Formats: sequence, C-alpha cells, structure tokens
Amino acid sequence: MTALLSVLLVWYLLGGLLPLCTTRPHLQNLFAHGCAAAAGVVGIVLGVAGLLSTAPLTLSLASNIPHLTFAIRLDPLAAFFVLTISLVGVAASIYASGYVEEFSGRVSVGLLGSLLNGFLLSMTLVVLADNGFFFLILWEVMSLLSYVLVVTEHEKPGVREAGLFYLIMTHVGTAFIILTLLIFSQETGSFSFEAFRHPDQQLPEGLRSIAFFTALIGFGAKAGIVPLHVWLPYAHPAAPSHISALMSGVMIKTAIYGLIRVYFDFMGGVFPWWWGFTLLVAGTVSALLGVMYALMEHDLKGLLAFHSVENIGIILLGIGAGMIFHTYGLHELAALGLLAGLYHTINHAAFKALLFLGAGALQFSTHTRHIEEYGGLLRRMPWTGAFFLIGAVSIAALPPTNGFVSEWLVFQSLFLSFQLPTLFLKLMLPIAAAMLALTGALALACFAKAFGMSFLAQPRSAHARHATEVPWSMRVGMGFLAGLCIVLGLAPMLVVPLLDRVTAPLTGAAISSQVLALDGWVVAPVTVEFSSISTPVLAMLLVGAGALGLLIARLCGKGLRARYYKTWGCGLNLTPRMEYTATGFAQPIKQVFETIYQPTVKLEQEFLEQSKYFIKHQRFESHIEPVFEKYLYWPVVTLLLATADRLRIIQAGSLHLYLTYIFVTLVLLLLWAG
Amino acid sequence: MPASTQLGSQLVDLCSVLLLLCCFAIVAQRRLSACVDLFALQSAFLAATAALVAFLTGHKHIYFAAALTIVIKVIVLPRILRKVIERLNVSRELGMNINIPAGLLICGALVIIAFFITQPIIPLGYLLTRDSLAIALAIILIGFFTMIARQKAITQMVGFLVMENGVFLGATAAAYGMPLIVELGVFFDVLVAGLIVGIYTHRLQDTFDSVDTSTLTVLKE
Amino acid sequence: MQSIIHIVLVVVQLALLLTLSPFVVGLIRKVKARLQCRRGASLFQPYADLAKLFRKQPVISSTTSWIFTAAPYIVFASTVAAGLLMPVFVSHTPLNFAGNIIALVYLLALGTFFLILAGLDAGSAFGGMGSSREAIVATLAEPAMMLSILSIALTAGSTNLSTIVHQSALMEGVVVAPPAHLMALAALFIVTLAETGRVPVDNPATHLELTMIHEAMLLEYSGRYLALMEWAAGIKLLVFMTLIVNVFAPWGIATSLAPSAIAVGLLVYLGKVAALALVIGVIESMFAKLRLFRVPEMLGAAFILSLLALVFFYTLKG
Repeated sequence: MTALLSVLLVWYLLGGLLPLCTTRPHLQNLFAHGCAAAAGVVGIVLGVAGLLSTAPLTLSLASNIPHLTFAIRLDPLAAFFVLTISLVGVAASIYASGYVEEFSGRVSVGLLGSLLNGFLLSMTLVVLADNGFFFLILWEVMSLLSYVLVVTEHEKPGVREAGLFYLIMTHVGTAFIILTLLIFSQETGSFSFEAFRHPDQQLPEGLRSIAFFTALIGFGAKAGIVPLHVWLPYAHPAAPSHISALMSGVMIKTAIYGLIRVYFDFMGGVFPWWWGFTLLVAGTVSALLGVMYALMEHDLKGLLAFHSVENIGIILLGIGAGMIFHTYGLHELAALGLLAGLYHTINHAAFKALLFLGAGALQFSTHTRHIEEYGGLLRRMPWTGAFFLIGAVSIAALPPTNGFVSEWLVFQSLFLSFQLPTLFLKLMLPIAAAMLALTGALALACFAKAFGMSFLAQPRSAHARHATEVPWSMRVGMGFLAGLCIVLGLAPMLVVPLLDRVTAPLTGAAISSQVLALDGWVVAPVTVEFSSISTPVLAMLLVGAGALGLLIARLCGKGLRARYYKTWGCGLNLTPRMEYTATGFAQPIKQVFETIYQPTVKLEQEFLEQSKYFIKHQRFESHIEPVFEKYLYWPVVTLLLATADRLRIIQAGSLHLYLTYIFVTLVLLLLWAG
Repeated sequence: MPASTQLGSQLVDLCSVLLLLCCFAIVAQRRLSACVDLFALQSAFLAATAALVAFLTGHKHIYFAAALTIVIKVIVLPRILRKVIERLNVSRELGMNINIPAGLLICGALVIIAFFITQPIIPLGYLLTRDSLAIALAIILIGFFTMIARQKAITQMVGFLVMENGVFLGATAAAYGMPLIVELGVFFDVLVAGLIVGIYTHRLQDTFDSVDTSTLTVLKE
Repeated sequence: MQSIIHIVLVVVQLALLLTLSPFVVGLIRKVKARLQCRRGASLFQPYADLAKLFRKQPVISSTTSWIFTAAPYIVFASTVAAGLLMPVFVSHTPLNFAGNIIALVYLLALGTFFLILAGLDAGSAFGGMGSSREAIVATLAEPAMMLSILSIALTAGSTNLSTIVHQSALMEGVVVAPPAHLMALAALFIVTLAETGRVPVDNPATHLELTMIHEAMLLEYSGRYLALMEWAAGIKLLVFMTLIVNVFAPWGIATSLAPSAIAVGLLVYLGKVAALALVIGVIESMFAKLRLFRVPEMLGAAFILSLLALVFFYTLKG
C-alpha cells in the first residue's frame, strides 16, 4: 500500500507541475486531467486496499518544527474517504478535459488544471493526516486552493464576493478546529493523533463538552450545517462546474470525516446522549431548511448547493442516531446508524457530483444557469438528460437507486428507537423520521421541478433552442458517476461489508453478517422479519411489471401506431410562454410554508391610457426573506464593525502617540521580565 | 389486573381519547356552529366517561355530576350559544391570530408536554383513570390555547368551556370526582358565564359592529 | 415444491390486483351515484373503458419527449410492484422480503415522480398546474403516512408488512381498539384520500381543468397510455385499501398455506374491500372538495393524529 500511496502522490505532483511547463493549451489540458484521472484510479485501488487490510498503514517523516511530523495513517475510515474522493476525482477530471474549453482564452487552462490536482491532493492527504499540525496545514491548503478555484471567473459580477464570503466562513471554521485540537493537545502534550486516541488521563467533562461544540462549529462551517451554510449557495454556483462537483461532493465530506474522527475516535466513543441529540436536531433542521430554500432557487447550481445542505443533514441524522445508540450501549444499532450515515456520504458524493456535472453541461451548452431559460433540452441533449435523470431519481431516494438504500437505512435506524430507555428520545427519533419523510418528499418535488423545467416541454429562450450535446469527455465523466450510482444502489451487498469494516472499530460491533441476509441479496437490519429490502429484486419486479404493461398494451393494441399532433393550447398556438414556470411550480409550496419563507411580492402595473383593463407594462418581483443573513450574520458583522470603529481611536495618526505606545510597552516588558 | 378492570380501563382510555379528538376538531374548525356542536359532542363523551367511572368504581355521586353535565353542557349552553350566533349573523372565523396548521402543531406539542408533566404523577394515581389525568391536562392547555388563538368572542367562550371540561375530567380521573357542592358551584359559575357572554357579545356587536375581541384595543385611548 | 407454491401465489396476487382494481373503482362510482339518486353506470363500466382505450390509436403531443411515452409504463410498473409486496389474502406473501412498508411508500413515490414529469412534458399550462398541485399534496401527505406507519409498526414490533399483518391477525387480549390504532387508522385514511385523489382532496370525476389535480396530469394522454395510467390509479387505490383492511382489520386472512385458509382469505378480502369501497363512496358524497390551500390543514390534522398515535402508543398501555 505504501507503493500505491507513493504512486498516487507522484501522479498528483506531476499533474500539478507539468501543465505549468508548457504553453500549449491542449497539452496543458491533457497533462493536468490525465494525471488527475490516473491518480484517481490509483486512489480507488488504495481506498479499497485500505478498507480490506487488517492493520492500518502508518508512515511518518519527522521535521525540524516542533510538534509537526508528517504522519500518515490509512485506517478503514480514512480509506473510505480516500475512495470517495478518488471516485469523484476521476469523473471530474475526465469531464474537465472537455469542459475547460469554455474557459479557453479567458483563463489559463494549465493553471486551472494544476490547481485541480493540488486540490485533489490536499483533500486526499487531509483524511490521511495523523498529526494535528499536518492536518491543519493540509486543511488550510485545501481551503485556499478551493478559494482560488472558486474565483476562477473573477471578472464576472458576484464571483469575487462569493469567494470572499467562502474564505471568511472557512477560516471561522478553521479557527474552531484549531481550538478543538488545542483542547486535545492540552491533556496529551503533543499534537499527534495517536496520542489523542490514547490519552494518559481523560479530559474533564466541561472541556469535553466545549470540544464537542467547537468541533461541531468548526467542521460544520465546512460541511454546511445550518446556520453556517450561508456560503454554499454563493460559492458553488460561482465556481467552475467540475470544481463545484468536487466541493459539494467531496470537500464538505471531509468535514464529516473530521466529525467522526473527533467523536468516535478521539473521544473513544464516550459521550452523553445530548451530543447525539444535538447532531440529530442540527441534521433535521439542515435537511428541512436546505430543501425548502432549494425549492425557491432558480439558479440550477444554487439549487444543488442547497440540496447539499439537505443531504449533509441526512448524514448527520444517521450519525446522530448512531451516537445516541452508542451512549446507551446499543452498539449494533450504533453501527447501523453510522453505517447509514457513511453510505449516504458516498451516495451523495456520487449523485451530487453527477448533478453538478450535468448542470455544468447545461451551462456549457446554453451559457446560462437559470432554469427559467431552459426547456426542451432532453431532445437536444439526450445523454446529459438521461444522466441528469439518473441523478435526480437517486437524490429523490426512489427505488431502486442508491439514494433509496441509504435513506432507507437511516429510516430503519431511527425506527429502532423503541429500544432506547427514555420516553423523550423514543418520541424524538420517530419525529425526526417524519421530518426526514417530509424532506424526501420536498426533494422529490424539487427535482421534478429542476428536471421538468430544464429538459421537458419547449425551450423557453433562444439559448435553449440552440443548445447542442456536450463533448464525449463530459459525457464519459457523467456516465461514470451514473454507473456508480446504479452500482451503489443495486449492489448493497458489495458496499455494506466494506462500510462495516469502517464502523466496526469505531463502535465495537461488526454487523455485516446481520445486515445482509439470503447470501447478500437482501439488506435486513436486525432480522428479515423486522424489515428488509432487496434492490435487485425490486429492480427486477419493476422491469417485469413494465414488460407486462408493454405486453398487455401490444396485445390489446393490435399494433396501433401513435399519431403526433400539437398540444391543445385552448385554440391558440402553443408558445413557450404558456408553459408552467419554475416559480409557478413552486408557488403552492411557497404559500403553504410562508411562515418559513416570509415571501414578499411586489407588483407594478402600468395601464393603457384608454382603458384600465389592459396592461401596458408589468413588473413582478418576488423575494424570500434571507433569515440567517438578516438576523444572524448582519448583526454580528455590524457589531464587529462598530467595535472596530471604537478601537480606531488608538490610531490617532500622531507619531508621538505611536512612540509613546512603544515606550510604555517596552517599560512594562522590562518590569515584567525582571 | 382483573379482566373487567382492564376492559374498563381500556374503555375509559378510549373515551378520554375521543374527548381529546373533539378538542383537536374544535381547533381545526372555522365554522362557529360546528365549534359549538363539537363542544356539545365533547360534553356528551365527558358524561359517558363520568358515568363509566361511576359504574366501575361504585361512587354514585358521579352519576349525578354526569347527568348535570348532560343537562347544562350538552343541551342548555349550546342552545344559548347557537342563539347568539344566529342573532349576530356570524358564521365563520376567517382571521385568526394563529393559523390552523400551526395551531394544530402547537396543540400536538401541548399534548406531548402534558404527558411529560404528568409522567411522575401517573404511577401514584388510581389504576383506572391515571392516563386520563394527562389527557385532562392536555385538554385544559388546548382550551386555553384556543382562547388565545381565536379572535371571535364565541370561540373564546367555547375555549373556556373546553377548559372547564378538562378540569372536570381531571377531577374525575384523579379523585373520582369532586365533592358535590363544589361540582354544583362550578356548574352554576359556568352557566352564569354563558349568560354573561351572551349579553356581552351582544354589546360588542352593538358598539363595534363586530364580535372581534381584538377591537377592544380601541378602548385604550 | 415450496417455490412453485410461492410462484403460484404471486401470480394469483398479480391477477387479483389487475382484475379487481377496475371493479373497486366502479363500485365506488356506483355508490356515489346511488347516493345522488341516480342509477349510475354499470359496475363493470371501468373494464369496458379500459378495453376501449387500449384499442384506440393514441395521439401524442409533438412537444413531448420519451419521458411522456415511458411514464405510463413506469407508473404502472411501480404500482404493480408495490401491490406485489403487500399481503393481500395470505399474510406471508412470498415477495415481502423484497421490501417493507417504507419501500412500498417510496415505490409509490417513484410513480408520482414520473407522473409529475409527464404532466410537465406536454408544455401546456394545465399539466403544469396539475403537477404543481400534486407535488404539494404528495409532499404534505408523507410525514403523516410515515408516522402512522411507524405507530403500526411499533404495535407489531416490525416494519415488515407480513409480520405486521400476521401479528395483528393473532392479537389477543385487546378487546377494545387501542387509541393508538384508532388515531393511526384515521390518519392513514385521510392520507389515502389525499394520495389516491379522492374527494375532499381531488375530484376524480371533474371536467373542469381548474379543479383537477390527478386528471390534469393525464390530460394529454390517450389510447393505451391513458389506459395504463387509469389502471395504475385504480391499482394504487386498491393497494391503499388493502393496506388499511389488512393492517387494521386482518381477521380472516390466511395465516397458513392450507388451501382452505387461502380460499377463506380470498373471500374475506373481497368482502372487506367491498365494505371499505362503500365507506369511501359515502365519505366522498358527504364532503365537498376542499380548496387547494385548505388541503394542508387537513393533512396537518392527519399528521397530528399520527403524532398522537405515536404518543399514545408509548404512554397509554392499558
């Protein structure tokens, strides 16, 4: 495995340096994306090897700086994340080789490709790091590289602001992560993760709780937990699509990695019940609010960004449930909850990246991101449409896709709450399950809107009318992820044993044999009598029933061919203006949930002079209250600015005053040292 | 537990739950006449519960309280309220302080809260009716909530009467009925309150031309 | 030998679902007609309708894509697959290992997803409106359905449909219906009315496009496609009705594979479904269709009922 790791590093470094050595864009493109894809393939092998190996691989390289050693540890948890990162990395690299044509002339393709390799390398190493300082350095590198990638198209309006917002939020998160690691290093005296795992004495209860919150806020800012999610809808649409896919599909998952590492590994899995409950509440709120705001978004990539918030919420639901069970000693249920959360992690990486790549393909062809300007693209871009449909069906958690399997597992772990001792938790977990059901239904509505408005009916703008299918490299990238979604859905018998190797050391219970039944064809947590699904059999049932329908139709229809004609437009010719718009589609939902959205509507009408019944000119504006920005962020920012204003007094501009400051400080220091 | 007490306990539970359902139906209703009818139905269920408890425990005085409930709360008071509604010509409540779905959710939360509050007390109560205590508290809370959430005086009166039903159920559950004198006193109070509301809504209508109690804020100046 | 019996049972269940659903639709229509003092169409009219539609040439809008022609097959397939997962006249139906009650709910959601897409595909405003309304109704019905299912599952100690029905059929010691069950039944009934497009949520017999939800999405379909969609709607109704009768009134269902038990199970099932169809017909005649924005109130009430069912399950224990 050491060899694999070195090969991986070499490929990424080559991919980072080679594109900068030539000036021909074709070569830059080839070097950058070829190396990234090759490194990704090696990463996949490394990930699987790490999952299957019996002992974790550790390497370390000492350095002159105190507390910093370049230590690497490939244990099953890290291997799982390396696998996820590499899978999406391969797809994104192949896709990018065709996609970057959009940037030719405006942006240096070589630099973009080189940064891509750096970004992938930093993400892979972040989950492998075994030393606190090393982890922080890599985390920071990852954040900075992603910032630079987000502002690739910095000449476009709004991109720089989005990047700056992202930079600030990620550094707030990093500050809290530093605090967490400092708390841990207090008791062990060193920054090595190995020491964190085996502390000499346990941290006092108060410090542990503080560490819980700082870790939650720190990693939550990166993951996009409500209310720290506000940067996501700005940063993801601004970035190039393959970068958005990587950020949304994998980068926010490194935060999940961090949370699991801190709670289950460093804290030894010993925590009070309210930690898991906090995660449960945070997950429920994120899931609900994420999908609700997604429904009102009409920028396709902004919509997908909000959905990432929703799915992080679902992952937290699984992990939170697992933590609650772990507190009460129900280790097998804890493993089930954690496994459900991790399964959803890789599923989300697959289908979210697929959807972002699809959105990028749409943007590539039509040069716009607004759903209201799409329409009828399924006939013009059949491959993109088919792949996007697979992604949409997966994210809506419909059988027999992968989203369904992981959401089903989360439901099962929430339903098993009747084994908990307290009435409060026995009621709260099923209510969380009901909220998850609501989220799933809203996600279904949202993607029916997204897919329906973009690909169906007639084109709503000239952009959409002239759209063409994307180059084959982009199609291959999307197809790879679509295939991955299907495999993850139809073959849980392959995925569950691998995930079990991750959860078993963390929770102390290996449940693979209990979760799979009937030679692996059935996923049955606890027992088959309790609950079971079999996605291959469901898929066969669906295909069989569909064939039956086809058969009956053919038999009765006596080979009637269909006739094609225009849609009835009430006597008028059907124009795209008559179609339902995305705003219209989501309007009932906006009205039902208006307490959360607080919508404001402005309508200005100008009538003809002759008659007040005919409108000459009309303007409609509809806004949703940006609750978090208005009530949480702006007050904080205003407070900071006001405080800074007050402190400006010390900057009086007078040379004598500054000399006095230095003099006084010098005297005080001399007194203190003496 | 002997089979008859178990059956009896299940029946009492069932009746209490039906009472609670009537509460929810009142919260979900817009039409004032339907609110009054539901209140009459709830009082009928309450009388049935009281009679059942009387039958199972042998305390005869609860029969009397049940009969009084039927006379006053199922027949007399609803008739007064319906007359008021007819005379004032209001049929529906359109503007509410808290809209119906939110109101229903809050009532659901109130039920859960009521159960949590009574959890430590329940094991100490009588075997037959101890779960009814939690439901009684829930009904009181929901009745109070109705008074806050609604604007029309008549619905607020119904909310008050629902609260009173809850108190009666609680007394029957916890103590197998209050002393008869107290019962009579409470009933008379309720009857007088009903009459006063009848007069008061009339005055409201005359002065403000509506039975919206929020118009009373005009009197501040 | 065992597997042959299983295959026969699955085939019989499939045939029963396919042939009984039009009859149930016809029965409900007949009940409503009688309550409106009309004679009403024959009980077997839906069969004639389906046969007629299959034999007609379909007209397809030129603005649509392959989703439009594929959707009827997908909706039909998902509804039939959901029906095969359920215990109908035998409590241990052979395919129940493939999915539990949550899988059933999500299979039906698969059908709803493609139905919504099909409504949008023709590019007419009516289809879009139907899709948009269906989206909000289906969304709000989900939490209520999930919680009521959970209450039922807790009572039986399992989410596997066969186990639930089997446990309910054998339940002793409870003479009076537990309140939790009553609440769950009420909630599930309201959800059934919403999901299958019955009054007071949607009027299946309306001809006014502005009052349609389900019909609006089917407006552009004709011929065999319309036949499949109508049939699928009937099967969905039958699936929900089977769920209600078998979970809440499972007495008589065959708990073993003995031929006599199976025969009794079949007859009892037919009787129970007919009775429930009568109840649905009466309820549809009693109420007026609600305005779209009153439906969330009704579904909110269903959610509260299912929440109460959960609370009562954990607190009221006889």
